[in-house]
Amino acid sequence: MIGYVPGDSPLHRAHPYTPLALAAGVFLAAFAVSGPRPAAFVVAAALGMGLLGGVLRHAVRPALAFALPVWALLLVVHGLRGPEPFVAVGPITLSESGLDRALVLGSRVTAILVAFLTALACVAPPRLVEAMTARGASFARMYLLVSTLTLVPRLRERAARILEAQQCRGLRLGGSPVARVRALGPLVLPLVLGALAEVDEQVFALDARGVSLGGGARRTSLWPPPDPPLERAVRWAVLVLVVTLYAVRLA
Amino acid sequence: MTLRDLVLVRLGVAVNLVMGQIVAALLLPVFLDAVGTILVASLVGPVPAIVVGLTTNVVAAAISGNFTWLPFGVIQVVIAVYAAGAARVGAFRSWTTALPAGTLLGLIAGGTAAPISLILFGGVTAGGVTLVTAVLRVLGVPLEYAVYVTSIGTDMVDKTLAFGLVFLILRTLPRHLAARFPALAPPR
Repeated sequence: MIGYVPGDSPLHRAHPYTPLALAAGVFLAAFAVSGPRPAAFVVAAALGMGLLGGVLRHAVRPALAFALPVWALLLVVHGLRGPEPFVAVGPITLSESGLDRALVLGSRVTAILVAFLTALACVAPPRLVEAMTARGASFARMYLLVSTLTLVPRLRERAARILEAQQCRGLRLGGSPVARVRALGPLVLPLVLGALAEVDEQVFALDARGVSLGGGARRTSLWPPPDPPLERAVRWAVLVLVVTLYAVRLA
Repeated sequence: MTLRDLVLVRLGVAVNLVMGQIVAALLLPVFLDAVGTILVASLVGPVPAIVVGLTTNVVAAAISGNFTWLPFGVIQVVIAVYAAGAARVGAFRSWTTALPAGTLLGLIAGGTAAPISLILFGGVTAGGVTLVTAVLRVLGVPLEYAVYVTSIGTDMVDKTLAFGLVFLILRTLPRHLAARFPALAPPR
């Protein structure tokens, strides 16, 4: 399952920016390391995040669904056809340096997936909105984040209805590639033109509520999540660690 | 940005994300995940289109859980700037200009995506595109060539179709809607 998983772990109780900062730290660290062993440490850090959040199972399962095909392709692209010398791994022989590279790249993808899936599982969207409001995030940013997430399922539903309606009118989805490309028009046009026709209505609705993008009064958060000094220190520590990793790499 | 731009950005992001459902229903081996970006660029210009592209990148990652896509956000910026420029010089006025303009964008976008894929992910980013790369590698094609050929090849088809679709949308836009977008006004 991808998304928020209710819980009472330290990451669930933390300020929403803390799990996101930890995930961003893993993301940046994953690109800073270059050997299989440091890459394994980054994966361990991501798994540690999952454990701390009590959502390891929720994070690892979808992460593996994405990462396993990547691992398989990495072994083919880098392992099978890499430079000599070759080493025997079970019944197959793989390039030693190619295998190392595949391990680094596979660990990178796995760590990023586990870290962000953990953050998604631990950060409740309403708390994130409250935290952003408390920090004075602009209306435009909040609107895009929240409103787009509500629009996408609606548009998906509409696309499914258009698909059914056009099939009732005789539209064939199969056939040659050219026939399938031709079918794009009858499906995409009603969807996009319908959505464009609603733009003005939405602009009037926002305008009527006094929404403006040019400054305006700062919104007040009713329940701003607490942000203790320890968590702020952790976020700074993540930043320092990432900068150090890149400095070491570039040195 | 105006309120109208903001509403259009939201629409563009949603269109980008929903296109996957349509191409999956048609079993087309393309993404068309930049149709919303190109449409917004042609209607209101590059800045809202860049916001569409970057927001799509983040929201798609949050919905799917695949945050390895984040570094490819730069491609959406390239697409937004190019599409706005193409609209400005009138590339969407006929099929004969829209389709080649899309093909050229595919060349540029694919050429930009390939080094990102190569340097950050060793050319392996999952999906059908990497399968083609893997097949080329097994056939003995050097990694760099395999990644560039696959990336540019798929992007040229994808962006040609995307430009064709946006041309179709702009051509069928009812006059009362088109009148609200000054960028669509015919040249004097």
